[in-house]
Amino acid sequence: MKKLKFTDILITIMIGVVFGVLMKFWDDLYTVVKPILPVARQLIYGMWFMVGPFAFLLLRKPGTALIASIAGASLSAFAGHGIEVLMYGFMQGLAAELLFAAFRYKRYTIVVAGMAGIASCLASFGLDLVYGYAALETWALIVKYGLRAISAFIFTGIFAVLIVKAIEATGVTSLIRPVDKKEYTLLDQ
Amino acid sequence: MLNWFTPERQTWLFRVNPALKFVVFFTFMIITLINQNLHFALWQTILYGLLFYVFSGYSLKKLAVLSIPLVISFLSTGLTMLLFGKGESVLWQFGIFKISEESIQHALLLGSKSLSFGLVGFTFILTIQPILFFYAMMQQFRMPSKYAYSFIAAFRLIPAVTEELQIRRNALKVRNVQFSRGSKGLYERLQSYTVPLFAQSIRRAQRIAVAMEAKQYQMGAARTYFYPTRYTHMDVVFIAVMILGFAITLFLSSSGLLTSG
Repeated sequence: MKKLKFTDILITIMIGVVFGVLMKFWDDLYTVVKPILPVARQLIYGMWFMVGPFAFLLLRKPGTALIASIAGASLSAFAGHGIEVLMYGFMQGLAAELLFAAFRYKRYTIVVAGMAGIASCLASFGLDLVYGYAALETWALIVKYGLRAISAFIFTGIFAVLIVKAIEATGVTSLIRPVDKKEYTLLDQ
Repeated sequence: MLNWFTPERQTWLFRVNPALKFVVFFTFMIITLINQNLHFALWQTILYGLLFYVFSGYSLKKLAVLSIPLVISFLSTGLTMLLFGKGESVLWQFGIFKISEESIQHALLLGSKSLSFGLVGFTFILTIQPILFFYAMMQQFRMPSKYAYSFIAAFRLIPAVTEELQIRRNALKVRNVQFSRGSKGLYERLQSYTVPLFAQSIRRAQRIAVAMEAKQYQMGAARTYFYPTRYTHMDVVFIAVMILGFAITLFLSSSGLLTSG
């Protein structure tokens, strides 16, 4: 198991906090869309599940999805979104983390990342039920969380993987990822 | 902007240990989350309203401004439940919208819960200093220093991040960048902001971590703290107030004073 070094922790938390800032701006868009297009609003909801899987795809180390998710949520909490976002951040991060763990932290594909997003979505659904949304009409529940799960897959699967690919092209990931065996053997040649 | 968050007077809430305040508030919020009793939820909201409006030490004008997002979140969570909630005794129906007695009850429950979260969240962030909060988490609750200092470093970099975001926005505007329509445009927009932002933040965070370790910061090593935080008698007062408030709201909600039901 690749343990997290201090550099990894700081970078993971930094990613979470930057996501928190982005989500603050995203929130403005969300609030504008909210009253006009209830469907569109669920479709951009996936942004809130993106932080954990995104951090894992970048650093590829165990623990990063959970830590980044909590960090993003704490920034949201400090930005005035209420303490409950911390509970959501923790549960969503944990769900994504467990999904990556189920693949032994070795799969970085669109499908696995997207499934992590859906796992986060399920975790937030569980909390929402406890919160009180269980009293919605069944069709409304299915429409709301069905769209949300689709959005989770699009954002954490497709978008996150593509953005991480684009960030790889900038070269910064060489600073943070664990060194491959392949790279060591290259040195021996 | 930061000056805006200077309170008019420092109330007793400011002198409570920030980490203890967080732990107590967080525990109460878990109770709020799982509570399904409408009377109790309403009385709880009043309790947290008292904390926020009377003891946060901010002027009424600022409290009124801060109340706007609270009202919005109350309405938006409540309205969804009001219009799409389950219920047998229907009062009004139009197309897919349906208001029933049960959905009104559930809407009030959900709305007052989100109001409680907002009130407590604001009371917390208005009466602490974030840096001292992390120092107290390390000293009173044994949060590992590697996390606390990472948080502090990342929080200190927020102004740089927002500035970069602004620069990026202006750069895209100057170049008259047009995004496609629909979900493709959504992705283009996301990518054009996130890639430079994350690349830069990762480099910056990595440099800070390397610099800290170069100056002999060690994970898990015993250490002293630049800002010592401790418990005072104010913490006893705080816990007493919260427990008493909880007991009173519990009593009042069982007496059914607030609603006729």
